[in-house]
Amino acid sequence: MIKFEGVNKWFGSLHVLQDIHLHVKPGEVVVICGPSGSGKSTLIRCINRLEKFQKGRLSVDGTPLHDYGINLTKLRAEIGFVFQQFHLYPHMTALENVTLAPMQVRKLNRKEAEELGREKLKRVGLDDKETSYPAQLSGGQQQRVAIARGLAMSPKIMLFDEPTSALDPEMIGEVLDVMVKLAGEGMTMCVVTHEMGFARQVAHRVIFMDDGQIVESGQPGQFFDNPQTERAAQFISKILTH
Amino acid sequence: MTLYYFQRLIEIFPFFLKGLWMTVAVSGLALLFGTILGFALGTLRASNSRLLKWPIGGYVAVIRGTPFVVQIFIVFFILPEWGIQLDAFPAAVLALTMLGTAFICEIVAGGIRAVDRGQWEAAASSGLNIFQQLRFVILPQAMQTILPPLVGQYVLLIKDSSVVSVIGVTELTRVGWVTVVRIPEGLMVFSLVGLLYFAISYPLIRLSNSLERKMAVQQVRL
Repeated sequence: MIKFEGVNKWFGSLHVLQDIHLHVKPGEVVVICGPSGSGKSTLIRCINRLEKFQKGRLSVDGTPLHDYGINLTKLRAEIGFVFQQFHLYPHMTALENVTLAPMQVRKLNRKEAEELGREKLKRVGLDDKETSYPAQLSGGQQQRVAIARGLAMSPKIMLFDEPTSALDPEMIGEVLDVMVKLAGEGMTMCVVTHEMGFARQVAHRVIFMDDGQIVESGQPGQFFDNPQTERAAQFISKILTH
Repeated sequence: MTLYYFQRLIEIFPFFLKGLWMTVAVSGLALLFGTILGFALGTLRASNSRLLKWPIGGYVAVIRGTPFVVQIFIVFFILPEWGIQLDAFPAAVLALTMLGTAFICEIVAGGIRAVDRGQWEAAASSGLNIFQQLRFVILPQAMQTILPPLVGQYVLLIKDSSVVSVIGVTELTRVGWVTVVRIPEGLMVFSLVGLLYFAISYPLIRLSNSLERKMAVQQVRL
């Protein structure tokens, strides 16, 4: 589904992604963790081409991103992206946030789109908030609307960039619950997060990144209980004690 | 004597109304074209393309950095030497449009840049193309920053239209000049001219202020 082959990226002289090799299979849930600045956000932002890379090959759902002239909007329509800061459209209601892309990209009419939008809002437990504006919602609710917005395009892949890092602790659970449900339905997911409970519960694989490299990759139980590298062990002890 | 002149002034008041109409026509057309072009250029200027950024930046700098009266002279007296002969009215509209475009371009570009980058990323991520991103996500938010200064700019442009009197367009200011030759009461004549400008500017100033308040409230809501 997603295939990194020797991907390299530089920000100026900073080598932010170093020779990344990673295959994500359909239906797989991959959690990516690592210290800040390790390149994990950059990695998943490459998947829907919010970031470009300079060297290597990356294909997503059969589309080679290293080629010129690819149809970006078509690619992005198949990939849901959830941001740390939600980035809901502040001038639109929750329902309008969810229906915009289905109407404009998938060309659904308003009635079909609203039906679809309500269904997605219901799926994240917010069917009573469709007329609310983002500013009237809590952080956890906003992030769930953002997930519904991604799901409304019936994506083949969902990407999450630290979806709970900007949330108050009491709201993290409601967002993770939605993500756990999604994983249970067989969605292909790449999740940048430090939520170990989530990783243990649903991840098929945990990737540990440091300094732009994939340092370690393994099943969650094995990774958290028995890390193979010193750097991973240090990282795990830090997120456990904080 | 003053009373006599005042009566004469009232007699020729229709002449002032014609001048006012000419002012409204010149500045109205220039506002319309300037707004369309200003939004187009401003959007391009806010983009990341260097290819587009520099020529537009150069144009804006030249227009902002030279007096309007000089720009009018160039359009009206210099262009004919290159074979572009314009009547006074189209020349006035063209010059004022060029001026308006430059200022509106800056206002629009500033408004677009003020929208959080995450909004572009979210819109792009959901598969919207660049025009859909602008139309549905970016511009509606940018309008909150753009509208109050835009209306303020309209007021400035209407007042700047007085300068086109120098090429013989019989708009309000020129009516004043012509009248004062026959009615040598400068204060009286130009008070009337000023009053008529004020009559169209003041509603716009009020609009700009109320937009500013409204937008400030909306910003809190968002």
